[in-house]
Amino acid sequence: MSVATGERVIEFRDALREAMSEEMRNDTRVFLLGEEVAQYDGAYKVSKGMLDEFGERRVIDTPISESGFSGMAIGAAMRGLRPIVEFMSWSFSLVAADPILNNAAKMLYMSGGQFGCPIVFRGNDGAGGQLASTHSWSVESLYANVPGIKMAIPYDAYDAKGLLKTAIQDDNPVFFLESERLLSTTAHVPEEAYTIPFGKALTRRVGTDCTIISFGRPLHFCLEAAEELAKEGIDCEVIDGRTIRPLDIDSMVTSVKKTSACVVVDQSWSFASVGSEIASQIHAFCFDDLDNHVYRVHSDDVPTPYAYNLEQAYLPNSRKICEAVRQATYNA
Amino acid sequence: MPIEITMPRLSDTMEVGTILQWHVKIGDEVSAGDLLADIETDKATMELQSFDDGKVKELIVPEGNPVNVGTIIATLIEEDDVDGGSSESQEVAPEVSASVEEPSTADNSAVEQIAQVESSTTTHSPTSGGTRVSPVARRLAEEYGVNLTAVQGSGPSGRIIKRDILQFVATTSETTAAAETTKVSTTEVIQGTVPATPVTAVQPLAPTSPWQQERTVPLSNMRQIIAKRLVESKQTIPHYQVTMDFDMDPLIEMRKTLNQQLATAGVKLSVNDFLVRCCALAMATNPAFNASFGGDCIQYHGPVNVGIAIALPEERGGGLVVATIRNADQKSLRTISQESAYLSKKARETGLSIEEMGDTTFTISNLGMFGVDNFTAIINPPNSAILAVGAAIEKPVVRNGELAVGREMSATLSLDHRVIDGAMAAMYLKTLKELIENPASLLV
Repeated sequence: MSVATGERVIEFRDALREAMSEEMRNDTRVFLLGEEVAQYDGAYKVSKGMLDEFGERRVIDTPISESGFSGMAIGAAMRGLRPIVEFMSWSFSLVAADPILNNAAKMLYMSGGQFGCPIVFRGNDGAGGQLASTHSWSVESLYANVPGIKMAIPYDAYDAKGLLKTAIQDDNPVFFLESERLLSTTAHVPEEAYTIPFGKALTRRVGTDCTIISFGRPLHFCLEAAEELAKEGIDCEVIDGRTIRPLDIDSMVTSVKKTSACVVVDQSWSFASVGSEIASQIHAFCFDDLDNHVYRVHSDDVPTPYAYNLEQAYLPNSRKICEAVRQATYNA
Repeated sequence: MPIEITMPRLSDTMEVGTILQWHVKIGDEVSAGDLLADIETDKATMELQSFDDGKVKELIVPEGNPVNVGTIIATLIEEDDVDGGSSESQEVAPEVSASVEEPSTADNSAVEQIAQVESSTTTHSPTSGGTRVSPVARRLAEEYGVNLTAVQGSGPSGRIIKRDILQFVATTSETTAAAETTKVSTTEVIQGTVPATPVTAVQPLAPTSPWQQERTVPLSNMRQIIAKRLVESKQTIPHYQVTMDFDMDPLIEMRKTLNQQLATAGVKLSVNDFLVRCCALAMATNPAFNASFGGDCIQYHGPVNVGIAIALPEERGGGLVVATIRNADQKSLRTISQESAYLSKKARETGLSIEEMGDTTFTISNLGMFGVDNFTAIINPPNSAILAVGAAIEKPVVRNGELAVGREMSATLSLDHRVIDGAMAAMYLKTLKELIENPASLLV
């Protein structure tokens, strides 16, 4: 991303910290808890310096017990606080599946509106790089299946800050999916406060021949693929959905009506996934506008490999996206 | 192994055929030569005969459904082929359309839906059958009024996709643009004549007649072929025109005499019959008029086959065909007249066979009978020239230095400049003039 001189450029991880710190300054109900978030400044240095500023009552180190501290935070949220729960990796949230899916997501409904659950769960999602199968989860498709939650996936530092502030201010449970691979990437982030609304997709690249829809890290592969395809004369429009729930299907439909071709790129597995849901909705809303069925690019239908070369081949990379777009546009 | 029967190419220009009627049903035994179906091509309705003996296994393409040449339309199983084929065919319902063109099985489509890029590179076996069209292509075709049977699909299994329609529209946009211009200018005229008064239903300028209803009429096969071939002709052949007037008095006098004398023999020569013979005889000294442009060569043809453009009646869908008088240079006026009358009647009533309209080397288009003085025609490829003939009309003429009333006919040659130059055209018209104005030579 090109940045004008004089504009402030910061890392993705700093943008996350700024969002949390600003919200904690504005609202004393907001606090952060998780493994190593306080003394160690966070496993990925996202919460660096926050213990010093906010003290140990608001920046809390927890034991390695996701189910326990998630449940505790949900209780706090029910009683009026606004916790931010950091999962070192979303892979570890699986042991907290019952509290986050059965309690947080359903609290407002099951209590007949007596208890809300204004909570943010955030952490690294997707393959971090040779972390092997159990630590490389992409949880978006698994969790997006559950009604009652919101899910945001930032693409860069600017979105990380704007979307996280919206997440903290939201009265519902928000699953906030970051990427370890993006934490050190930089982008322009203004000094002044701003938020980015949920459910508003952003067109990252304008094109006429094929709509590519994605979220978070794979968008970088999509944009890379779009440049490659442009050399072949295929002009792609790349849409960043920004949030999976709520899903801005309207923007996606508008784009597909223009291009008549669509490729959905989703880093989770293909079966019963965010990608299959979007494809299904595009088929329904764009039936008479499609020149081909919607193509999907996912991680391969196997556990994430450990070997570097296999992991690269497994992910929804630029090569696979190019191939899918060529097929969707009959240029294969 | 079943024997596959494909849509045959029944004429040079045929790309699509429609089965008007199946004469067999599933399970019927057929022998070589048996009539299988009636097929409508761009030019005529033809009979499809079986080349093999066997039993009808499947009728894949239903009646009335246009398919590309080469599409499998039916399969036969050989009599001695007993691998369960017969029991299968017994169980297939006699309903013809039952076996038709569901793209793939439910299983296949499910697989296709979830296929990732890697696996989706393995294509599913294409299903033969009707035209496949992507949804957006179908919608665009409707919007642009494109007849899908005229479009060649470039997608998998011949699927018609968006770019096929857009390309088709682009290549025919000249026509569309012209039509739209007409529409716009009409509106302007209406608005211009009634200034400051919006054209409303309250004060219609003219009663609305059914013909004024805006509507889209799909092209008939013939209209498609006319559209395609004439655009091709006009766009690829460097046309130019040369006109000459002919003194028709001697020819008309002779025609009158001959028709009176031979009336009892059923002879009724038309002016056009004379022109066919004149044009054919004029080839002898102007062989380039009986030739075709062959890209890197000029192909001179042996036989002189003169085509006659015949307008078809509205109730048969209108349009026109070109009937062929083969070896016209070797035929007497009487023979030409008989053939011409026969072909003209047959064209209007039942349609011509491929033999009756193919292989022309030169074409005559005569609008004289409609009172047209003169006009120009578009060359009928692969001909190099076409003669557009107007009416023989009475007008003041100078004969032997005196002003007199004479019958004159104007005829305009359209020529392919790649084959025929201006001076050659003049030479041909001069030869024609000598023949027409000295018609006695036509009798020998």
